[in-house]
Amino acid sequence: MELTINGKSVSVDVEESMPLLWVLRDELNMTGTKYGCGVSACGACSCLVDGKVMRTCTLPISAVAGKEIKTIEGIADAGNLSAVQKAWIQHQVPQCGYCQSGQIIAAEGLLDEKPNPTDADIDEAMNNICRCGTYQRVREAIHTAAKWRQDENSLLG
Amino acid sequence: MADHTYKSDMDNNHKQKKKGKWTRRAFIGVGGLAGVGLLVAVGGNVYLNKKVKKYSGAGMGEGDSLNAWIRIAPDNTITVAVPRAEMGQGVYTSIPQMIAEELDVDMSTIKVIHPQPESPYSNTFMLTQKEPNAFKGYSLMEKIYASLPLIATGGSTTIPDGYNNMRYAGATAREMLKVAAADKWDIDVADCKAENGHIINTGNNEKLSYGQLAEAAAEVQYDGLPELKKKAEWKLIGKPVERLDIPDKVTGTAEFGLDVRLENMKYAVLKHPSVIGGKITDLINKDDIEARPGIEKVVLTEFGAAVIGDNTWRAKNAALALRVEEDDSGNGNINSATIDAELNEILEQTPLATPVNDGDVAAVFSDKNNTVIEGTYEVPYLAHAAMEPLNCTVLVNSDSAEAWVGHQGSSIVQNMVSEVAGLAKSAIKVNTTYLGGGFGRRAEPDFVRKATAVAKEMPGVPIQTVFTREEDMQNDMYRPAAKSRFKAVVDTNGEITAWDNMMALQSVSNSAISRMMPAMAPPPEKDEATIEGAANLPYIMKNQRVAFGNHDLPVQVGFWRSVGSSQNAFFTESFLDECAHAAGQDPYQFRKSKLANHPRFAAVLDKAAELGNWGAQDGKFRGIALHKSFGSIVGQVAQISKLGDKQFSIDRYSCVIDCGTYINPDTVQAQMEGGLVFGLSAALYGEITWDDGSVNELNFPQYDMVRMNVSPQVDVHIMENEHYPGGVGEPGTPPAAPALTNAIFAATGNRIRKLPIAKQGYTFV
Repeated sequence: MELTINGKSVSVDVEESMPLLWVLRDELNMTGTKYGCGVSACGACSCLVDGKVMRTCTLPISAVAGKEIKTIEGIADAGNLSAVQKAWIQHQVPQCGYCQSGQIIAAEGLLDEKPNPTDADIDEAMNNICRCGTYQRVREAIHTAAKWRQDENSLLG
Repeated sequence: MADHTYKSDMDNNHKQKKKGKWTRRAFIGVGGLAGVGLLVAVGGNVYLNKKVKKYSGAGMGEGDSLNAWIRIAPDNTITVAVPRAEMGQGVYTSIPQMIAEELDVDMSTIKVIHPQPESPYSNTFMLTQKEPNAFKGYSLMEKIYASLPLIATGGSTTIPDGYNNMRYAGATAREMLKVAAADKWDIDVADCKAENGHIINTGNNEKLSYGQLAEAAAEVQYDGLPELKKKAEWKLIGKPVERLDIPDKVTGTAEFGLDVRLENMKYAVLKHPSVIGGKITDLINKDDIEARPGIEKVVLTEFGAAVIGDNTWRAKNAALALRVEEDDSGNGNINSATIDAELNEILEQTPLATPVNDGDVAAVFSDKNNTVIEGTYEVPYLAHAAMEPLNCTVLVNSDSAEAWVGHQGSSIVQNMVSEVAGLAKSAIKVNTTYLGGGFGRRAEPDFVRKATAVAKEMPGVPIQTVFTREEDMQNDMYRPAAKSRFKAVVDTNGEITAWDNMMALQSVSNSAISRMMPAMAPPPEKDEATIEGAANLPYIMKNQRVAFGNHDLPVQVGFWRSVGSSQNAFFTESFLDECAHAAGQDPYQFRKSKLANHPRFAAVLDKAAELGNWGAQDGKFRGIALHKSFGSIVGQVAQISKLGDKQFSIDRYSCVIDCGTYINPDTVQAQMEGGLVFGLSAALYGEITWDDGSVNELNFPQYDMVRMNVSPQVDVHIMENEHYPGGVGEPGTPPAAPALTNAIFAATGNRIRKLPIAKQGYTFV
């Protein structure tokens, strides 16, 4: 099966029912996307599929063939961190860091859809579990990233 | 940051490279357990290196290091060996911060590695609870503990253990560099000074970089005890230094145990007995399972079965399809209702121990003029539920073995692999990765034991053994269920004339230490964890008794972030609130009036009340709690809004910590924010229940956590003083529950004596 991951075409020979998470982790050794629960409850496995945030631990690869898959490894552009990633550093968000790939993906998806999210928008979109409890900093970092993205756009515009 | 070096120096035939084309990071083979040849003396240290070097320097790079923690390369890169587990609490930054302060170098020049489990890295504070200073000389007990050695991360001990040692490690290395420079210039050492990675000749301002001097410095026999910088001179300690591990944690490149990928590696998924402590006696459909695509082997070990395959998902599905014969070992009758009844019985029995028995509480209670306040509190079993499910990768060869694991104790890993593989400890290499959460669970040896037993079935093949989320949750070492029955009398002046606390629970230290270091496990009556946060209250009480009984069960209980304080703060700070209300006093003032002997507690309480706008008439409801654990005092004010009869939003927590001298204030703040949320998850939702010897909760839908929408704003204030450092990883957790339930009482008049709250009809948005 042909997949498009972070702009590259990849061929894998596995069961159509294998969730994208395990294709990434165990077939392609792209381990930035994490296994947390296996039942789409925690969000650690989140990736962008055609720009939409998807939990990949229950998403069979047959459902993503021909679609644009973006993983945490593809968020930085040629080594340049995204506004979200920079804001995550600025606010020193991660503690253990295990859930943060999923948190960052969810934040990227949110800001693509709502460039200037309210706290209520963040509450709704960001329901990934962080056992270390970094929520407050995730929220602050999203507001900062939103501002930086708008500044970038206004400079480009 | 953590550049783990994974070359197997014990098996030259086994070349470990990433498979496939998606290699994230090349595995760089450097060094080896044989280490380097020259003996290096470090300071006046009587134990570590005076005569015999006790560390290999493995993973620190080519050439000599200056001591067990510091190696400086010719290009001025500084490798710091951090022997504590990085599980989000910031030790890969705070230890380098202490070293860099005295060495006088920029944090950006530092690269962190995790060393092998060797004696200089022992955590003696964990066992002695006394300020160690290896460079001035260890006490006899410290020498014994260092020779074991116990290299572990837990009990919020990294900074208390390292505060002297790491600064002296940096300072002695600095002095060695000065001696090397003085020799080169043929001047007096007193005419050399260290500044920002250079030694400067104060006579002519000539300078040499540390990289230029490191090779010569490594041969310097420095026997002095250098002077440490004064607090006023600190450039890094006490400053909000950016964490060194965070850049890799925003790009997905930070390597956790589950991310280890080795050539020819296989994946194993466990199937535990369905009853706790039970046994799997036979595999019914082994042949069918082994015939599945991608499945290599099904193995039966003493702890249960495992399916080994070429992909975790295939192995997981096969493990689910595996049918087994089981023996429940007589534990099939364990259930929550029985546990509850047994705890109630223990409360009525003669105590096993009475650690506090001041005055005569019985006389006060029997005086008919006194009104006795009573309340029985209870909490359930809790799972750790770290985000990264338990896992450990092990390669067993004929004469050596190697483990790759995120673990809180590298010496515990080495001991366990050695025992199960039947190999000498010196033949075991331990590669410590980042931990996707620890919270005490990753100090346990069970998952290393199981992974090694599985790997032993396929010698020469590295096997990553994984607990699925369900296996992780159902085979935890739980925080025990506990009850406290209180009685108290408060006189007309608001003084507590009698306080009686009888507790019932299973002994955590007895259970956990029996697994980690069996010879050191205390009997239940001597378990300090049972009474921490219950027997050391700062409040003036005229007569006081604290007693407990032990619940003897085959359930394995373990250290859960903040341990005994995780329930005792809820119990004591809630019942104290009851006493305040019974006396008709303000809960803040009531506490304050009893803190005359403890000014540090009083100062924290005052600051928390101030930050939390205590007493404000703004339609919000507030609760206050104060608790000391792991050497630090934390006061919290919870501020909530009442949205319905039993519906609230938790708007804000004001959190004040006195942890004495602190290293990285941003990390302290982060640990308060996160520790508090950890406590809130337990207060609102956390409950593990038993039926027929099995845990009912399987996964997050049944064992939920506080998420973004419920998580409060947390404002943190750190007290300034000169005291020796306390811990910060755990003390933020205990006051979270009582601050909230005290606020709910303020809002509703309902006293919550049982957790979790959400199971009693309350909702939070």
